[in-house]
Amino acid sequence: MSGGSGFLSVAGAAKTFGAATVLDGVDLSMGRGEFISLLGPSGCGKTTLLRIVAGLMAPDQGKVALDGQDITRRPPHKRDVSVVFQNYALFPHLSVAENVAFGLKARGAPRDEIAPTVAKYLGLVQMSAFAGRSIKALSGGQQQRVAVARALAVGPKLLLLDEPFSALDRKLREAMQIDLKRILRDVGTTAIFVTHDQDEALTMSDRIAVMYAGRIEQLGTPAEIYHQPATPFALGFVGLSTRLPGKVTEAADGMVTVETAAGSLRARANFLPGSPVLLGIRPERMVIGHDKANRIEAPLADAAFQGARVQLHFHAPEDSQILVETPVLPADAGPGTKLKLSWDVEDTLVYPAAVASP
Amino acid sequence: MSAARRLDPVLLLALPAVLYIAVIYGVPLLVLLGRSLLVGGVPSLAPFISFFSDGFSWIVIGNTVRISVLVTLLCLVIGYPTALALARTRGAMQALILVAIILPLSVGVVVKAFAWQIVLRRDGIVSQFMTGIGLWDEPQRLLFTEAGLVIGAANVFVPFMILPIYSVLKLIDPRLGEAAATLGASPFYRFFKVALPLSLPGIVTGIAFVFSMAASMYVIPSLLIGDRFQTLATLTGRSFLFMRNEQLGSTTAVVLLVLTVAVVVASASLSKRLGGAS
Ligand SMILES: Nc1ncnc2c1ncn2[C@@H]1O[C@H](COP(=O)(O)OP(=O)(O)OP(=O)(O)O)[C@@H](O)[C@H]1O
Ligand SMILES: [Mg+2]
Repeated sequence: MSGGSGFLSVAGAAKTFGAATVLDGVDLSMGRGEFISLLGPSGCGKTTLLRIVAGLMAPDQGKVALDGQDITRRPPHKRDVSVVFQNYALFPHLSVAENVAFGLKARGAPRDEIAPTVAKYLGLVQMSAFAGRSIKALSGGQQQRVAVARALAVGPKLLLLDEPFSALDRKLREAMQIDLKRILRDVGTTAIFVTHDQDEALTMSDRIAVMYAGRIEQLGTPAEIYHQPATPFALGFVGLSTRLPGKVTEAADGMVTVETAAGSLRARANFLPGSPVLLGIRPERMVIGHDKANRIEAPLADAAFQGARVQLHFHAPEDSQILVETPVLPADAGPGTKLKLSWDVEDTLVYPAAVASP
Repeated sequence: MSAARRLDPVLLLALPAVLYIAVIYGVPLLVLLGRSLLVGGVPSLAPFISFFSDGFSWIVIGNTVRISVLVTLLCLVIGYPTALALARTRGAMQALILVAIILPLSVGVVVKAFAWQIVLRRDGIVSQFMTGIGLWDEPQRLLFTEAGLVIGAANVFVPFMILPIYSVLKLIDPRLGEAAATLGASPFYRFFKVALPLSLPGIVTGIAFVFSMAASMYVIPSLLIGDRFQTLATLTGRSFLFMRNEQLGSTTAVVLLVLTVAVVVASASLSKRLGGAS
């Protein structure tokens, strides 16, 4: 569901704290019912962006519009934007059901509607049996469910989730991911999900916004982000990759020849001869043997067995990284064995490099 | 069973305090209690019966309770917003407010009470101000009135309301207020449904502090309202110091003790109940 943009639009959002620029002109547009993950390393501004959308913080510059209305200066309680906080922020003096009822009561919902709505959302997160419990008598995963029910019960236009699963163990986390997707699909809620776990982002999202240093580097479907990463950062942050810096030696007809430490390679791109570039190749696109057009040779460093596939790490020159995923490891290959590797010209990603490599 | 009987080693840390209180406070208290219950060496409830059957005693009890309640309420009304401000500000501003609250504690009660005498006089600044803005037609004296006493006493005790409330407020996760806001709660609703209930344990502690201090204050009423107005504390003092009636003095002291202990115990159990819910 990558179309239908414009339900939420953030335009040129900027924020500085003292001398630090935390958001550097963020643009984001999403459609009704869409599920977008904000993926990025710690400190890149994900929480800050979320707080600006929720109205808990004002941007220094830029606009936020939701459902056709400019809400940049609107206080949080008039925005219809619910938040699931990282630490859940459940009200400790209220029971599970009272927590879920809080937003309904605050909005003055009719009394006879509150109980059925609370029951419905507690059922949705499978917490009906805990309605009368104290918050303190819940496990982390249960609190998480209550937080989701509380945020959804008010029927928000937009749901923001700030790393809601980061405190959970892997197994519970995976179960919660599936549950959350199901619930959001049932309710039809538009949601932004913050995470720095790429697997979480790839499996859950309609689209992913890759954030780095206060900017959105790329916004696209999980497949686009994986197969056509727009920047070296996106290439490196999402998934694994072979990375070879080099210099363009020839350019003609939309094709370039790049001289790298591993050899001369071809790629589809437009660069002037002499430009420093970075080549990237996803590991499953590379094969052992010289069957394809771009060919290198490298000594094997390490082979990691991963069930269906084997991950091969190679000794590579400085600044480079060579990494291949293959169904089977050749029988005679061991550490130090020089292996022939190749891949298609079309599978070679090219990025301008900031600094020239030797 | 045996585990329950074994002494918690941490309790040993409290030993010096327990000994100190037992010797300095507990023993004289027992002597006092004994005196109030012994008439000529014979146990008797007669002092209490005669105290409670005297109409003047009830006026004194009424004075004590009324003044203590008013002082406590005034401290709460002034102290809660101050505690809230203290908890919401940061850095230099917070330090400034904290100093403004704590520094006056280093000024003795007697000095403060004398200062209030000057402030509350007919030609004092309160009177000048009220006539100046036209609320009073002519200068009035607040000194030696109950209002003057309440104002002066509240000034002395208000830090003991602010600090316990502040210490609870600052522990409340600010994200609770933010969560409430994103759920659609107005600032007003957030205050009454989140901040206020979560700070109740602090309020209860503050009330216990201020009430017991106001009920037992001696110097402040002596200087701000005088002998015409008696509370249990001033009557106790007069009985021992001026009337040489140790029987009456120990009886009023015990009544005062029971009153304040009742308020403190009630608020402590209330605080525990509320704390248990939060
Ligand atoms: N109130 C603040 N005052 C000063 N600096 C802040 C404040 N809030 C955030 N920052 C800084 O802004 C930067 C981005 O913070 P933010 O919380 O948005 O990061 P994040 O992407 O959510 O990181 P994480 O994944 O660790 O949660 C950080 O460097 C942080 O130190
Ligand atoms: Mg964050």
